[in-house]
Amino acid sequence: MKSLPFRWQLTLFIVLICGLTLALAFAGLYLYNVQQFNNEVQRRLDRTKTVLLDSLTQELAQNPNATDLPLKLLEADAQISAAAVYSAENQLLARYIRPGSNEVVPTVPSVSSRLLTNDRAVVWTQIRSPKGAFLGTLFLKAELSQADVEQFTDLLRGSAIVFLASSLLAFVAAYRLQRHITRPIIELAAVSASVQNSRDYGVRVSSSASGEIGVLIDSFNAMLDTIQTNTTALDLARIAAEDAKEKIHQANDQLEEANRTLEARVEERTRLLVKASRDAEEASKAKSSFLAKMSHELRTPLNAIIGYSEIMKEDAEDDGDARRAADLDKVLNAARHLLGLINDVLDISKIEAGKMELYLENFELPKILNDVVATASPLVAKRGNTLKIECPPDIGTMHADATKLRQMLLNLMSNASKFTENGTITLRATRRPAANTDMIEVAVIDTGIGMNEEQLGRLFKAFSQADASTASKYGGTGLGLAISKQFAQMMKGDITVASTPNVGSTFTIRLPADVEVKQPSVVGTSEQRLTKSPFPTEGSKPRVLIIDDDENVLTLLAKLLQKSGYLTTVAETGEKGLKCALEEKPDIVILDVMLPGIDGWTVLTKLQGHRETAEIPVIVLTAGHEVDMALSLGAGSVLRKPVDASRLTAEIAMQLNPTASGYVLIIEDDHDARDIVIRMLERENFKFRAATNGNAALRILKKSRPGIILLDLKMPGMNGFEFLEILGQHPEWGQIPIVVVSSMDITVEMRDYLKTRVVAILQKSKFTRDDLTTLIRPALQT
Amino acid sequence: MPRILLVEDNEMNRDMLSRRLEKRGYTLSIAVDGGVGVALARSEKPDLILMDMSLPVIDGWEATKQLKADPDTKQIPIIALTAHAMDSDRQKAIDAGCDDFDTKPVELTRLLGKIEELLKKFPPKA
Repeated sequence: MKSLPFRWQLTLFIVLICGLTLALAFAGLYLYNVQQFNNEVQRRLDRTKTVLLDSLTQELAQNPNATDLPLKLLEADAQISAAAVYSAENQLLARYIRPGSNEVVPTVPSVSSRLLTNDRAVVWTQIRSPKGAFLGTLFLKAELSQADVEQFTDLLRGSAIVFLASSLLAFVAAYRLQRHITRPIIELAAVSASVQNSRDYGVRVSSSASGEIGVLIDSFNAMLDTIQTNTTALDLARIAAEDAKEKIHQANDQLEEANRTLEARVEERTRLLVKASRDAEEASKAKSSFLAKMSHELRTPLNAIIGYSEIMKEDAEDDGDARRAADLDKVLNAARHLLGLINDVLDISKIEAGKMELYLENFELPKILNDVVATASPLVAKRGNTLKIECPPDIGTMHADATKLRQMLLNLMSNASKFTENGTITLRATRRPAANTDMIEVAVIDTGIGMNEEQLGRLFKAFSQADASTASKYGGTGLGLAISKQFAQMMKGDITVASTPNVGSTFTIRLPADVEVKQPSVVGTSEQRLTKSPFPTEGSKPRVLIIDDDENVLTLLAKLLQKSGYLTTVAETGEKGLKCALEEKPDIVILDVMLPGIDGWTVLTKLQGHRETAEIPVIVLTAGHEVDMALSLGAGSVLRKPVDASRLTAEIAMQLNPTASGYVLIIEDDHDARDIVIRMLERENFKFRAATNGNAALRILKKSRPGIILLDLKMPGMNGFEFLEILGQHPEWGQIPIVVVSSMDITVEMRDYLKTRVVAILQKSKFTRDDLTTLIRPALQT
Repeated sequence: MPRILLVEDNEMNRDMLSRRLEKRGYTLSIAVDGGVGVALARSEKPDLILMDMSLPVIDGWEATKQLKADPDTKQIPIIALTAHAMDSDRQKAIDAGCDDFDTKPVELTRLLGKIEELLKKFPPKA
């Protein structure tokens, strides 16, 4: 049934019902007709019986055993098949059998059995006299006549014909009718199937119908409407999405292209920068070597001039030619001055080239002071000055570069003599005990013309004297103080000056009594000053990759870092360094920028550019001033060479475990401004990291959280305001206190804006170290 | 009179220094390069040697090393003469075994002081 199409099912169903109904009607009709027929037969039998009884009663009344009874009359009635008359004694008197019929006349049954017989075609009747006397019994048996049978057959045939005709009609009607009902459903099914197959939601069921099917069709169509609308929307959305995807694709392509271009440009820039830096370095080397050569070339003839002048002067003195001796003395002085100039220039060029070296030796300070006094006393006496030496006899020995100390003191003495007339020049030495090493202070105090603030400001700068006219009046190259200051700083000391115009000046040389034996490239190696690794247990020791072409540095740093609890890998070239970085995935890289082959800048760029190494912090070591370049290329921090091992280990520990102790993040693009802040922080021993703009700062922030941020507002790339915006979007950075350090004119609106986000606003170069410390210290302590 | 061996390749320097030292009573031998210097030191056994460092044939440092390695000459005091502020040269000179050094151009008073000091320390045998 299930496989039968719905319309056939419906047709069959209707036909079945019709058939059943007709069959019932037909059966009813048939039974009714049979009943009618039977009744008719009975009636006729009764009529024949009545007629026959009348005559029989008369006959039997006359003769109870008469046998010639008129049964022949029954031949007229085709219905009677047999008849018999029995006497009161139940003797058969007469009988009639229709010719051709094979009926048998029965005996008289008992009354009870007669009553039980329900054969309508058989009649047993008692013949009684009008007075009621029992005369005999009549038996009649009827049968269907030919006509009856024909009539009955006709009836049956007619009924059958009606039945069939009705059934056919019912089928045709059902077939036609079902179309009315099934068509919408079939169409619904077809449409539904087609929708399912073709996913074409545009088709609709066009048939209409009433009732639930109508509702179904309407709902289905409505559903299709909705689906179509949704599908259309979906298609549109998909098209839009594909469009967007395409656009994203294009954008990605462009981005990639841009990235490639950028990379190429960065590489180009890096190459240019490196080239520029190399060129500059080469130029500087060339300059130094030129100066060294020139001064040598100049000195050779000058030697001759000085030497022969001295000989001639001696000869003149021997000859008693005072005038010639005086003239030759002038030549000699001029030549010696020239020699001094040349020597100063040579010194400065050596310092600038980083070639000035220290020769440390043990010496008695008083001896050096006496030497200096001996040399300088003619100069001091020249302008009527008095010389005083104040040196405690127990000042003891020093370990320093005696030649340079002598040169510094001579320079100061010579300056003091030049700018003091009829005054006093005091040379005062003091030993100041200190924790690590005693400090030796040698002060040159004069009562000369002194200097004002502005003159003091440019005092120690090369080629700049306190006054431009000074040179002509007092002579000198203006290099002496610059050289002296450099010498002092090389020995981890300094020269300071205090001066009051028209009262006098005090220049103080401060040097460690024991100038540390300076390793050529690594300093601060004393083990107590090394910061230990934050993860020192075996198995969790961080790995440090050191890339430096100087084998001494490699060996020494590796040794120091191992002592501090690190595993180390060393690489002597950039190529090897990159290979090690990729293979070993060190936790941190220490990178010297001056490398043969591919240089440190390229290594840094490649490390930052490679997915697998981009997150490794890099500490850059440089002998130059390329701090900005290193930071902008992504260095985690920059340390100057010679490497200070104590600072290096502290930096490594901080890079690896930044949360262990807070640090100050300085975001400032201007080198000088940054330097000022850094110096202040260094004085206070604050840890710090520096970034040149907001972007670089965010890179640092992502790796480690600072205790406080010092933020400049005006910067290239991402400025301070943009940086604050981004910071505001990250709740985890929201609590970091921010101090704005800016030279900008801050408007009222800006101030209102900043007030909600920063803890303080400092005006550049108008704040003190104390101001800064007051802000930073509590932030780093919490 | 103390005998001084001056090893100096520059003619003018040689001339000036020798004239001025002779004037002060020293007897001078002259060598124009390191090779001659070593040979003269061995043959003449001077009381003191003034040794320029940048010399042809063999340089001053090498010459000093050879002389200081030779038991016959090692007691002769040697003053190295180096160019001004060439600290590395000076250090190398000390390392090579020179007893003192002075810079060129020579400041005669200072050099004479150093010569006398060394002669006192290593008095001439004769």
